[in-house]
Amino acid sequence: MATFKTCDGMKRRDFIRVGALGVGGLSLANYLQMTDAGEVKQPRAKAGIFINLPGGPSHMDTFDLKPDAPKEYRGTFNPIQTNASGVEFCEHLPKLAQCADKFAILRGVTHTLGAHALGSEYVNTGSRPLPALEYPGYGSVFTKEHQGPADLPPFVTVGNTSRQKPGFLGVKYAALATGATPRAGQPFGVRGVSLGNGLTVGEIEKRQSLLGDLDKTFAGVEKNNQLLDGLDRFSQQAYSIITSKRARAAFDVSKESPDFAKPFGEDAFGMSCLLATRLVEAGVGFVSLSLGGWDTHQDNFTRLKERNLPPLDTGLSALLTGLEQKGLLDTTSVFVTGEFGRTPKINTRSAEGGRDHYPRCMFMLMAGGGVRGGQVIGKSDDKATLPAATGYSPDDAAATFYHSLGIDHTKEYHSKTGRPITIVRNGQVIKELFS
Amino acid sequence: MWRTFSLAAAIVSLALPASGAEVIEPVNKRFAAEDVKEVPDFRTHVAPMLGRLGCNSRSCHGSFQGRGGLRLSLFGFDFKMDHDNLATGEDSRINLETPADSLMLLKPISDEFGHGGGHRLDEGSWEHRLFINWIKSGAKPVPADHADLTRLEVTPTEILFNKQGQTRQLRVIAHWSDGSSEDVTPLSRFQSNSGQVAGIDQAGLVTSAEPGDTHLVVFYDSEVVPIPVVRPVTDRIGPKYPKVPTPTRIDTLVVEKLRKLGVVPSDLSDDAQFLRRVSLDLTGTLPTATQVETFLADSSADKRTRKIDELLETPGYAAWWTTRLCDITGNNDDNLNNVVPVRGRASQDWYDWIHRRVAENVPYDELVSGIVTAVSRDDGESFTDYSKAMSSLYNPDNKSSYSEREHMPHYWARRNFRQPTDRAIGFAYTFLGIRIQCAQCHKHPFDQWTQNDFQQFTGFFTRVSSGTNPASREEYDKLQKSLGLEGKRGNQLRRELPRLLREGKTVPFQEVYAIAPRRNANNGNKNNKNLKRMKQQVAQLEASIEKLKEGDDKKQLADKQKQLAAAKQRIKRFAAQANRRRNGQGAATAKLLGGDVVKLTEHADAREPLMQWLRDPNNGYFARAFVNRVWANYFNVGIVEPPDDLSLANPPSNKPLLDYLTQGFIDNGYDMKWLHREITSSRTYQLSWQPNETNAKDDLNFSHAVPRRLPAEIAYDALKSATASDAIALAMHGSMEGRAIAIPGAGIRRNSTSYALQIFGRSVRDTNCDCDRSSDSSLLQTVFLRNDNEVLTMIDSGRDSWLSQVNRELTGKPLATARNTGNQRGAANIARNIANQKRRIGQAKKDGNDKLVKRLTQQLKRYKSRSQQTQKPRKQKTEEKSTVETKPADKASLVRQAYLRTLSRYPSEAELSRSISYVDGEENIVDGLRGLMWALINTKEFIVNH
Repeated sequence: MATFKTCDGMKRRDFIRVGALGVGGLSLANYLQMTDAGEVKQPRAKAGIFINLPGGPSHMDTFDLKPDAPKEYRGTFNPIQTNASGVEFCEHLPKLAQCADKFAILRGVTHTLGAHALGSEYVNTGSRPLPALEYPGYGSVFTKEHQGPADLPPFVTVGNTSRQKPGFLGVKYAALATGATPRAGQPFGVRGVSLGNGLTVGEIEKRQSLLGDLDKTFAGVEKNNQLLDGLDRFSQQAYSIITSKRARAAFDVSKESPDFAKPFGEDAFGMSCLLATRLVEAGVGFVSLSLGGWDTHQDNFTRLKERNLPPLDTGLSALLTGLEQKGLLDTTSVFVTGEFGRTPKINTRSAEGGRDHYPRCMFMLMAGGGVRGGQVIGKSDDKATLPAATGYSPDDAAATFYHSLGIDHTKEYHSKTGRPITIVRNGQVIKELFS
Repeated sequence: MWRTFSLAAAIVSLALPASGAEVIEPVNKRFAAEDVKEVPDFRTHVAPMLGRLGCNSRSCHGSFQGRGGLRLSLFGFDFKMDHDNLATGEDSRINLETPADSLMLLKPISDEFGHGGGHRLDEGSWEHRLFINWIKSGAKPVPADHADLTRLEVTPTEILFNKQGQTRQLRVIAHWSDGSSEDVTPLSRFQSNSGQVAGIDQAGLVTSAEPGDTHLVVFYDSEVVPIPVVRPVTDRIGPKYPKVPTPTRIDTLVVEKLRKLGVVPSDLSDDAQFLRRVSLDLTGTLPTATQVETFLADSSADKRTRKIDELLETPGYAAWWTTRLCDITGNNDDNLNNVVPVRGRASQDWYDWIHRRVAENVPYDELVSGIVTAVSRDDGESFTDYSKAMSSLYNPDNKSSYSEREHMPHYWARRNFRQPTDRAIGFAYTFLGIRIQCAQCHKHPFDQWTQNDFQQFTGFFTRVSSGTNPASREEYDKLQKSLGLEGKRGNQLRRELPRLLREGKTVPFQEVYAIAPRRNANNGNKNNKNLKRMKQQVAQLEASIEKLKEGDDKKQLADKQKQLAAAKQRIKRFAAQANRRRNGQGAATAKLLGGDVVKLTEHADAREPLMQWLRDPNNGYFARAFVNRVWANYFNVGIVEPPDDLSLANPPSNKPLLDYLTQGFIDNGYDMKWLHREITSSRTYQLSWQPNETNAKDDLNFSHAVPRRLPAEIAYDALKSATASDAIALAMHGSMEGRAIAIPGAGIRRNSTSYALQIFGRSVRDTNCDCDRSSDSSLLQTVFLRNDNEVLTMIDSGRDSWLSQVNRELTGKPLATARNTGNQRGAANIARNIANQKRRIGQAKKDGNDKLVKRLTQQLKRYKSRSQQTQKPRKQKTEEKSTVETKPADKASLVRQAYLRTLSRYPSEAELSRSISYVDGEENIVDGLRGLMWALINTKEFIVNH
């Protein structure tokens, strides 16, 4: 008997409840309706991987080098040839250079939000943050648009630093956060999925049968109450995940063959990349992971060379090569970005200098899902201070990412207050990436 | 006046309206004749007609980008823009010479002209004639002295249907301030709030559908009028309605509505149901097993009333309702970064300040006043005194609390609360329960607010600022100098301050302060002069540059070009400033929503008149919003639902009920405990969730209790107390230490509870919406309850668990933590703890907090030794368990305990025997109880309040 109204005067027919009690399970019915009706689109990519580089990686010292720039800009790193003709980037990314044909570099991306939190929210959603509305991250939108296998969590974030939040879409589209990152060669369990505390599937089944017998209080009224109905359905799905060998195996990186696992190295980021490939292979729809430490205000070069570039080089190259080996690169869209670039002019606050926050010019990487690798799209000016032409925005990149995931970025959702919100309002798909 | 002369000929007296004046008959009649000469008016007729035809909807010309080169204001009411865009300029859609050839008419009539919106208008229709006559007479805009709409009268005022397919016609009469009245039915827009119950067509014809009740909403000009419509659910209405007990006023008012619907309330809940429900709702805390047994055994008649009184005095009540008030006021730690020098302290201050007042039951209006009119300094305090007082509060050895201060200014210092527009929106959400943000960009589609109302309201929020008060700059600098911090700013400064505070030094604090009004706030003329001067300068420069280009003096040319760029920049900056001023900053006047214009220059603090208005007995929002939110907490839905949307188009499901509670709340001096007591003491609140054949589908009229998922914090605490030993579970009622309902600020905090709270939808307090807190169910929640190590560990291990207590009672030994050692999950957990701990130590070292470093390092040692233990091979399960059951156990009694501590009731016979048979099937009693506890916390009954 209740209706939700939208700001634009239209009623949300899909939210009108038919003689139902409670508001708890609204969304569920919607979700099931959507999948039942087959409205879930056939995507180009079947899965997405979002790799966040929080801190803001220096574009000039990674994928947008300016060897001819004046000394106070240039930095100490040199460009190297890659296996893609005409594509050059930093010498300290040798493994990526050997698989540059698998990903595209986007240069001259630009925006204006120079604070970590805001910039991060921007690149994690594709929408410039608003004070009164939290936009959903890519993974949550993907989860809303795609239905995955019943015995796997649809959206996983590795580690506990993910900024992929469900925003106004609500808790039902939140990611399962693994908390810890896996360690090389060791069994990896993940909260909720692995059998904890020495439980066996047999025990779970016995308990489930007891639960079935005891959980009868609301018998008969569930159908009139979407909350209770939803709890029942989720109960079924949770049971299939917990008892699924496939789900447990997917998370356990120690089950991967040593030959395949070796290129990923042993550090946390490499292991996260390995986990991401396993999860995608098993059928998890969206995985987000991150590699931090890019906030190099001081000692920029030593820190990049010794601490940040090696794991990125190893992990990302292994991820892309690994996906290709498993035949998954075409159907998996990979997006790598930090929240901004760093000041082209080197500051003098430490002995060797550092670079500060700089959103006006940055790089992003894209691979898989139809993106043609081995090319550079966009260009920055001589000193990498601004895009050489119009440049791209995080909105454009987001629209492109959604496009490769088979999601129409102009689709409209409604915020919890009923306001109509376009998934990415201001973005244009960067078509050149797919050519 | 202007309206009557052109219409005089058309006045035909129809039915007499309530006011007794003559009513002009509707436009569809007046313009039916081909030779009609009447000139329609843009505001009264033409603009509403554009709305009726859908021209200004969001998907058409109402879109902010416009469509096909024409933009109209969304939902109308920006008459000037609409007229300008339609009838003036190069793009005019009007042809004054041959009116019938106006694009405005041609496009919606015929496909030939490529109208994206398709066919909308018929040639020769009355609508067409109305437009043509307006164009013929010169397509005039709205005259400056246009009358105001004083009232929109809709008849009938209420509709009662009794079978499907019945119809009623609505009639809409606009009463104008010039005394005229016109039937505007064909110019109004109509909407049904539930097509399930009744449909309504464009002409205002209502058709009955399914049984139930809803509202029809009528829109015309700025007015929005809801009309209730009811179709009884059963034939048990009037004399056939059974006798239903109505011991309280609330019950009487609820049953009055139910009687119209033929809905009979459920029976009274049993004592166990009542106790669990009221404990969770009022105090956010699950009753202990002993509390349940005591209550059930009590046979006195007034035990429910006494229980309510008792619960209102518990720490749980204060903690949970402080949390709810922190939700609606927006206590979010992330938005309070750097408001005070110690991280996390601002949100703690916020929580403590409200908590003290909730615990002492300070009247709601007084509590709010301490926030709304807050400045950082107490009355008469100098900046140095203020900094001294705050520094001493922030000294770790201090015993007194921030809550003793007069005000809670952090509300005004939030990062997302700096712009007057953001403040206006947030303020209206928090204290008025309305969503005026729609009116920021267009006429509010469901309320009377116009963009003008919004802009004028923001004026109240322009005279408060946070940071370093320029008036105390000298004192500030002096203080800073005395600390040797001269010239340090930003992060450099922030790093020093916590250390100095710990050393007991007085450091300068940021403050929230009111900006006194300027005498001459309206500088319009002066600004215009300045702008003119600057533009002249640009013109001169441009002229001389043209000249110089012909000559050779390159240097002078370059200089002039530089000057020109600078001058243009100045104009841009100036325009931006003027724009900000227009948006409310430094406004001389401000207008209360639906109220008076206030001269801000007459008030030292612009928020004073705002607070007075909140307290005005005629303010229709302030008390009402709070009462409705509290009600929603108890009944799953508000009397207005959603509870933070008190708009005209979203009327209360039971107006007399909301009126009664609101008035009662005000008459009782905004006594929050009165409100809680009044609601929870009603029979309506105490009804069973079990429906009868009349009310199973009712979810809005409070005819039975509605099962709802426990809020995140309460769910988490309930898990902890259900699985904890008797002693710990009892302690959770006395002390709020470690309770999730006592976490001060939302935000991204790295503590062990945050994952659970996040997936259960704790409010992040960031979006001006009660829906920021989620009561949805989700897969991750279920997976968490089923199999997350956090939950399994709660049930399982540690000397604090109930299982361990049982084991101790049976064997004299605590439960071995075998299950927690040697498993992968435990190892992962410990590894994570170690990593986190290292990070924390790093941070503490950075902050120079030696004490903390020491404490953390010790913890780290413990983690490391535990990590080594987990590497050891796992012992055989059976070895450790062989000690169980040295004493014969009373299984039935243990099963009963398990039920009492989770579901707060005794098990039925069937449940008891099924549980015992499960326990018997396990290796030993503790294993059996472990499985039983798992099953019980995974029942729907556990995770919902019912």
